[in-house]
Amino acid sequence: MDRERLIDLMGEIIPDEKRILTDQADLYSYSYDASFGFFVPDIVVQPKATEEVAKVMKLANQFEIPVYPRGQGTSLSGGPLPVKGGIVLDLSRWDQNLEIDSEDMVAIVSPGVITGNINAKAMEKGLIYPPDPSSSNIATIGGNLAENAGGPRGLKYGVTKDYVIGLEVVTPEGEIIRTGGRTVKNVTGYDLTKLIVGSEGTLGVITEAILRLYPKPASTQTLMALFDDLVDSGRAISKVLNSGILPAKMEIMDQASIQAVEAYRPLGLPTDVEALILIELDGHPMAIADEMLKVQEVCKEVGVREVKVAATSEEAEKLWRARKLVSPAIVRVKPTKISEDATVPRSKIPAMFQRLKEIKDKYNLDLVVFGHAGDGNLHPNIIADKRNQEEMKRVEMAVEEIFTAAIELGGTLSGEHGIGTMKAPFMEMELGEVGLDMMKRIKQSWDPKNILNPGKIFPEIGQRLVLTDE
Amino acid sequence: MITEEIKKRMIAIIGPENYDDSKVGRLCYSYDATPDLQALPDAVVSPRNTEEVSELVKICNEHKIPIVPRGTGTNLCGGTCPTEGGIVFLFKHMNQILELDLDNLTMTVQPGVITLDVIKKAEANGLFYPPDPGSMKSSTIGGNISENSGGLRGLKYGVTRDYVMGLEIVMANGDIIRTGGKLAKDVAGYDLTRLYVGAEGTLGIITEAILKLVPIPETKKTILALYEDLEAAARTVSKIIANKIIPATLEFLDQPTIAAVEDYVKIGLPTEAKAVLLIEQDGSPEQVEKDMAKIADICKSEQAVSVQMAKTVEEAEALTTARRTALSAIARIKPTTILEDATVPRSEIARMVKAINEIAEKYNLPICTFGHSGDGNLHPTVPTDARNKEEMERVEQAFEEIFIKAIELGGTITGEHGVGVVKAPYLELKLGAAGIEAMKAIKNGLDPNNIMNPGKVFAKDSRKRVVVGQ
Repeated sequence: MDRERLIDLMGEIIPDEKRILTDQADLYSYSYDASFGFFVPDIVVQPKATEEVAKVMKLANQFEIPVYPRGQGTSLSGGPLPVKGGIVLDLSRWDQNLEIDSEDMVAIVSPGVITGNINAKAMEKGLIYPPDPSSSNIATIGGNLAENAGGPRGLKYGVTKDYVIGLEVVTPEGEIIRTGGRTVKNVTGYDLTKLIVGSEGTLGVITEAILRLYPKPASTQTLMALFDDLVDSGRAISKVLNSGILPAKMEIMDQASIQAVEAYRPLGLPTDVEALILIELDGHPMAIADEMLKVQEVCKEVGVREVKVAATSEEAEKLWRARKLVSPAIVRVKPTKISEDATVPRSKIPAMFQRLKEIKDKYNLDLVVFGHAGDGNLHPNIIADKRNQEEMKRVEMAVEEIFTAAIELGGTLSGEHGIGTMKAPFMEMELGEVGLDMMKRIKQSWDPKNILNPGKIFPEIGQRLVLTDE
Repeated sequence: MITEEIKKRMIAIIGPENYDDSKVGRLCYSYDATPDLQALPDAVVSPRNTEEVSELVKICNEHKIPIVPRGTGTNLCGGTCPTEGGIVFLFKHMNQILELDLDNLTMTVQPGVITLDVIKKAEANGLFYPPDPGSMKSSTIGGNISENSGGLRGLKYGVTRDYVMGLEIVMANGDIIRTGGKLAKDVAGYDLTRLYVGAEGTLGIITEAILKLVPIPETKKTILALYEDLEAAARTVSKIIANKIIPATLEFLDQPTIAAVEDYVKIGLPTEAKAVLLIEQDGSPEQVEKDMAKIADICKSEQAVSVQMAKTVEEAEALTTARRTALSAIARIKPTTILEDATVPRSEIARMVKAINEIAEKYNLPICTFGHSGDGNLHPTVPTDARNKEEMERVEQAFEEIFIKAIELGGTITGEHGVGVVKAPYLELKLGAAGIEAMKAIKNGLDPNNIMNPGKVFAKDSRKRVVVGQ
């Protein structure tokens, strides 16, 4: 269909013309996200009502135009990229509804609400919304839901999916359905809620969500442990978790990450240790005081070099600063950051570190590793320069080997970033032909014309990971 | 219809001792725990491993023979009743705990393992598998997963779904797939694991599961609070949660239930109270102490006539055991017991309890109500007699009103028992036509010949039928 006609028809659906974007400059603003790739859409619309979304989907179905739901574009896997042109549905303006119901302990939100605002508003009532992806201050809840975002608190509190009990969804064919509800228990038919969360916008457009909240923990305490040997740190992680303690957060940084941080903003961390672990415990003050002692004992048993316990919340913040500085620190080395989130069973963390070290040496790359150690969700980050084609070729090969290593160790391509476009070529390696076929059948049954977020999750025939401009 | 040739092929796979089409054998598997519902299967098979399940399923798919996977038949929604004949699959040979992984805190099990054995094995190793459906002494984990069973600890710990990390499934075409793994985080494609949990055996057969375990709480305490007024008990529930305390168990029993239980267990329960709350908290000793003191205060401030803390572990155990016998106790009153599990948001409990009492009066029925008040999951139960057609008609009308009321209050028709046959006619009340269509599309996509537990979840016609069968 020609673009002018599409704009006219869109005008009949969206009453406010300011919410229909067609200028080149606007379209270019929606052509990328926080991953790789650049694709210009034909039109961008900013719906603010479920009916509007339903009508857009019906129109798109009628004329077979691809539609891409989008929040703030913080996706690290290419989820919102308009890879086949068409309509971008920008849901970030639909942020009006953020209701906290403290009796049922739920939040009811529209898709464009910023994730961090949900937690902030819940805190006013003594509650928390636990999922805390690093992008929570800018990412929308709609994007978090579509990608099933995680975060450091995932170890104790789980990920986005564990907090969603109901959705309003517009199906690819433009039907409005409600899944789940306000009840914690609900087994009325298939669990469409959990199916849609994490489906990367390929099965429906989320227009409202009911989220569970949780009482705010009475207190928290932080500890930092420094290890001469990476393998010892892995043992410490396993031993802490086997001793009956479930920390709220348990983060690890390797030597390269520590060195990058020290080079960027010196915090006085020793740069000759192989690993640093940060642990946050939360709960009743007396209970966590006991647990803190136990954690220190365990660290000593496995041969820790040094343990620092934060006496005040300021001190705790200072310890956490090391972890927060990793991302900004590493991009100072080179401009391009390839951030992965291959995840392995917790017991395989030391083995995964070993494999990553081998890959780093083999391809001679700047590879740093940090991440959520407690749940096996590591973030190997490769720092490179996009303009150096030869280096990017090596990056491609290294990324492929990282995925292979994770799967060989019983892990997955992605713990929290999603598959999107970048990891699609590797899906069959993880799921097998049959497993992938099952997912395709679900996609086809809901979206027979393949118009909702096409080109994501499922690989095209012969698709490979490409980071160079060939 | 099973021909001689099909029978021969099946026997060649599993051996004659695992194929039973005798009248007696078929009769034994013609019903489950759902009252007044019976249908004969054509044969009963007991495969010994996943490959045999797969081979049998391929034959069934080829000849479009219905398959009914069955654990120990404790189902309360008719989910395991072979209403369309076909073959019942038993898992008596696939009943092993395959692995306890103390590094990743997981347990890998076959579907025929008894739930309580999972719990005991975890506890023997200082770990905890929280889901505790009322039938846990006899139910299998495969059945629990298929129905997404709940239990008394659902409020704090969630339900079966929250503890399933990975599955091995035989699909309707006989293909074997693996979903998830020992991974705390996994977003590679659609969440098939969660889709299969609670799918009531309509999408495939679960042949292995990886369960998540958590550290066992250090200690627990139990309180029994008595009320002269139902609504005061319901208000207490809301107030406990409003004070940001989430107890491990928060059970409600009304007077008729208490009388039935006391008559059965004879441990000196207060049969004169109008309502009883059984409250349990677990965790660190400091936290439990603090929470329990606060809970006792709240009970008193809401006019509890008596608040007693169990003095010993044995005394506490006796109280929870008494609660667990509620269904058996009520079942002694009359030959037929109709039990439902309509669920409402927690804030609507008082209104729901009141509505149930009004409905009981209107239809002149002795409804006993007990259940998991903390998560809004109530079990209104009627002791009746299937032979009394006039009374059964009234029971049916009363339950229909209860379902409608639950949905009006923002709830659902089933919190933990499943839809099966008996609630299928009411599915549309909750999901609407578009919601059912979305689920049916998935069913058709994954089981095009409709051989996996046909006639369950989706109603064949709109004829309302809760209990009057045949």
